[in-house]
Amino acid sequence: MVELAQNLIDGLGRGSIYALLALGVAVVFGVMHLLNFAHGELITVSGYAAFWAITNGWSWWLVVPLIIVVAVLTSLVIERLAFSRVRGASQFTLLLTSFGVHFVVSAIFLLYVSASVKNFARPAWTTQSTWALGPLQIETFDTVVIVVTILTLIGTNLLLQRTMFGLALRAAAADFDTARLMGVRSDTVIRGAFALSGLLAGIAGVFWLMRAGSTTPSAGIDPMLKGVLAALIGGLGSLRGAVLGGFALGLAEVLLRSWLPGSIAGLTEGFVFALIALLFIFRPQGFVSVAHAERV
Amino acid sequence: MASLLAGRTGRDLGWPVIGAVALFAVLVGGGLAYQGILGTGAAERLVTVMLIDAIVVVGIQIYIGNTGVLSFGHIGFGAIGGYVFALLAISEAEKLKRIPDAPFGLVGVELPPLVAIACAVAFAVVCAFVVGLGLGRSGAASGAVAATVITLALLFVTHEVARNWPDLTGGDRAGLAFPIRGSLDSRVPTYGALLIALIVARLFARSRRGRLAQAAREDDLAARAMGIDPLVQQMMALLLSVAVVVLGSSLKVWEDGSILPGDFFFQYTLVTLVMLIVGGRNGVTGAVVGVIVMTIGRELARRLGQDGFEVFGIGLDSAPLDWIFRENLQTVFLGAAMLGFMIWRPSGLLDDLEIDDWLRRRLGGAESDVPPALVPAPEAGSSTLSASGIDVRFGGFQALSNAGLEADSGEVVGIIGPNGAGKTTFVNVLTGMVRPTDGTFSIDGRQLAGEPAHELARAGLVRTFQNLRLFGSLTVEENVEVAALVAAEHRGDRSHQDTAALIAQAGLWEHRHRRARELDYGNSRRLELARAAAMAPTFLLLDEPTSGMSDAESVAMVEQVKGMADAVGAGVLVIDHDLAFITGISDRIYVLDHGSVIADGTPAEVQSDKRVKEAYLGSAAT
Amino acid sequence: MLEVSGLTTRYGAIAALRSASLHVGSGEVVGLIGPNGAGKTTLLGSIAGLLSPDEGSVRFDGADITGAAPEKLLRSGLALVPEHRRIFVDLTVEENLRIGGITVKASERAELLDEMAETFPVLREKWATPAGYLSGGEAQQLAIARALMSRPRLLMMDEPSLGLAPVLVDLVFELIDRLRSQGRTLLVVEQNAHRMLEVADRAYVLRSGEVVTSGTGAELAARDDLFDTFVGGA
Repeated sequence: MVELAQNLIDGLGRGSIYALLALGVAVVFGVMHLLNFAHGELITVSGYAAFWAITNGWSWWLVVPLIIVVAVLTSLVIERLAFSRVRGASQFTLLLTSFGVHFVVSAIFLLYVSASVKNFARPAWTTQSTWALGPLQIETFDTVVIVVTILTLIGTNLLLQRTMFGLALRAAAADFDTARLMGVRSDTVIRGAFALSGLLAGIAGVFWLMRAGSTTPSAGIDPMLKGVLAALIGGLGSLRGAVLGGFALGLAEVLLRSWLPGSIAGLTEGFVFALIALLFIFRPQGFVSVAHAERV
Repeated sequence: MASLLAGRTGRDLGWPVIGAVALFAVLVGGGLAYQGILGTGAAERLVTVMLIDAIVVVGIQIYIGNTGVLSFGHIGFGAIGGYVFALLAISEAEKLKRIPDAPFGLVGVELPPLVAIACAVAFAVVCAFVVGLGLGRSGAASGAVAATVITLALLFVTHEVARNWPDLTGGDRAGLAFPIRGSLDSRVPTYGALLIALIVARLFARSRRGRLAQAAREDDLAARAMGIDPLVQQMMALLLSVAVVVLGSSLKVWEDGSILPGDFFFQYTLVTLVMLIVGGRNGVTGAVVGVIVMTIGRELARRLGQDGFEVFGIGLDSAPLDWIFRENLQTVFLGAAMLGFMIWRPSGLLDDLEIDDWLRRRLGGAESDVPPALVPAPEAGSSTLSASGIDVRFGGFQALSNAGLEADSGEVVGIIGPNGAGKTTFVNVLTGMVRPTDGTFSIDGRQLAGEPAHELARAGLVRTFQNLRLFGSLTVEENVEVAALVAAEHRGDRSHQDTAALIAQAGLWEHRHRRARELDYGNSRRLELARAAAMAPTFLLLDEPTSGMSDAESVAMVEQVKGMADAVGAGVLVIDHDLAFITGISDRIYVLDHGSVIADGTPAEVQSDKRVKEAYLGSAAT
Repeated sequence: MLEVSGLTTRYGAIAALRSASLHVGSGEVVGLIGPNGAGKTTLLGSIAGLLSPDEGSVRFDGADITGAAPEKLLRSGLALVPEHRRIFVDLTVEENLRIGGITVKASERAELLDEMAETFPVLREKWATPAGYLSGGEAQQLAIARALMSRPRLLMMDEPSLGLAPVLVDLVFELIDRLRSQGRTLLVVEQNAHRMLEVADRAYVLRSGEVVTSGTGAELAARDDLFDTFVGGA
């Protein structure tokens, strides 16, 4: 029982980061129908910025905003240079464009930094500090992650529900043409979606990088996969589904890791991927399906 | 093999084979010339790598090119095959050193390399079959995201298993390095595999299944409406494609003399996909050209990265350009090529142009310029289509209520009604695109309500679409032939018109080699009609055949429809908003309004019916 | 106010609109009638920027707006109530109206919201309900109110009575009449020709993508051959 509770908390911590990543993927998919395989690059770029700042003696208090700002700017630049040119293209083109962006970004770091792992110091509290809740040992880091994630989700929700921009974003995701008829500017809403996606990835990236303490040119693959898969689990196009998918993915990983016998525990990720493939086979629309009717 | 692939097309398969041999000659000849000029071991190795890449890329092309489904998983299949090959072919002594605890008694197995390759292919094909069932279940269609994600998951699952099962794979760092009685020092297996890959790819593309797959790639819905069940063709394409990919990946492992999890992962997926995209994914020739172009490009990028701007002894002062000509330039080059082509030329350099088509046009004998005439259809037995009590509800909205009609194969039956009356829903029910909530529907007593679209088409009810759904990048001829292929298999009891005669009848003889998407509107409509007629239908169902036509064109369409229907001995159901057209063509008319039949009778009866006028012009205020 | 001349729009190979011309004067209610498939929706879509016309021009208050983006057209005072209403079903009634007023100042938007609540009492009752739960008639009123939120100088409506029960059709035409009496300029596509001609100052009849006849509402309504013109019979 205690172990299960412990796992649930670990899973929530992990799932929080995935939820933020997935929400960013879902926001962009909503307005552009682009499944962004380059979402993880926001963390790659931020990671190198963090590495640079820390090696130059910045304190983490400054590195955190730096990571977030870099993620937002990277998201906007990628939209401007690549995705704005394939708006409305076929799914095939969109998928491969984002795949191409992933490679170009990681190759640039390969070219101008190096292929080797760049390590940087993590704040002490992210690794050693825990606090007790009854019989449970809870990591301070997990606690912070969960609290910040909840605050971010509340903030995002307020942004989407209460502001004209949020309203425009939701309207555009539901029916882009009609939103334009209402005067919603397509550039504004698409760039806004990329900025929001970058902001969420930036916050997730802070935690991701604090946990990893390093970055490499291909560091984006892992967060990209987590974000994309979680968004898909939840059902593409559904923001709530993406958040749920993130938490579900985090919990599934932690629980599988603790249940699988030691000899194959290394295969946790493999099992998770296989489970997700099975989910798609039997429920290609995800848990939270968004109805689409094709006019014949 | 050829006859199996050819099926009942009865088509000359000589040209595709000639094309495959020509591509083989280009690849091998170019490679040999290059290594001959440079005469270095590195050049020889580069050519070997290119040839093996060509096998893998051509393998991937068989699936992506013919089905339009984007797969990231083929390199995952390549990994599966590569490991099977390595595990079976490495000597027992080597295995005892590296993986003494290998499961399934694999340590003791040592097969000759070619046998090991055959086993690898067989194993991977079985895996592909299982994955293919899953892809089908997920509704794989051209551009389907769910299918792409499943293939991506496959790539990651194989990667994770390879990394985390060291007893089997040697793990992440050591991998399986081995000399198999020396590494691959002869090119003969590679040449053989390449030739097989090219021939299989070209023959499949021209085969019955290949062409049905391409039709579904162009338009999944229209393909179903022509009696094609795309899942069958997609499965065939997947199995063949995986077999060829594994042929290549086994050779790659053999040539490298080792296999590591990272060898068959993202990087190699990128390399092969870029090659495919750059050349043009819809053609084998495109795939080969992509391999050549990207191999040259990568090699240049690699050299520029290594040596600065100095190739073949031609050099510039490299200092100002140092910031770009660096190591790893080739990965940037690959990514940029992918992006550039997706943004500016998504169909690739060659699109779907094939070398054999080009050769045939240049060298082939002149084809007959005289279109064959239609043979009058023999008197077919009369058939009856009958639908009654059809209800369709979408959520709370009743789109059809108790709708029905009767039609005989000898007559033309019109269905009219104002916008929103439920005409389109009615058509969709009759053609299996919408499942009725209630009601029955049969042809000659055979119950058809709720059958899927392709079954209805095979049962003889063939439709056209209001907004035109042709197989855009197939030629006029190919559009009609696809339908004839389906008819040959599923409409065997009917007499078939020659496809060339149907094309001529539709007035498209001079356009027969043009792509359907290049036709103007009237010709597109006529092609859709000819394509439907080639299905040897019992009933032709025309959905708004004159929408977007001028009055004069509509009048001409009456003759077209009647001519086609007579030629294939089919009854006609026609739905249109244009009362003039409907009354000109129909023997009887049903009038729909608010989801129900409000009147039926001869054109004259219907035209004078007060309710019809009201339905059309709206009633006065209540 | 609005001057459309020689507009031709194709979907791929399909010419859905062939050299159509019409004009709408300030304060006029103009009807556009014709059978389905005649190109009415294409015409409105081409004016509103949803489709790009291949030939011809659209001028609004003298400015050439041919092929401009819809969000730009809306800002110049031209709003469209699209076919099938296209309300945002997951958004509440209030949110739908707010989106409609995205181009006006926040203070003005609040005023307009009050105004709409007053004009459309049914909407006020369902202010916080997701629009997907509205009945057909309520949804149509919402779609019109949403378009009015941008303070358009020309309001275009595409088939506002489509799919509505007869009593709701009455309601829609009463609404059009009311908007007219407020002095608004309307261009309305309707299939219900009789009713449209009752409320329209002038009307155009579209058939097979071409304008076949036009006249004042009364003139056209009085014509016996209207049905034939409509369906192209004899």
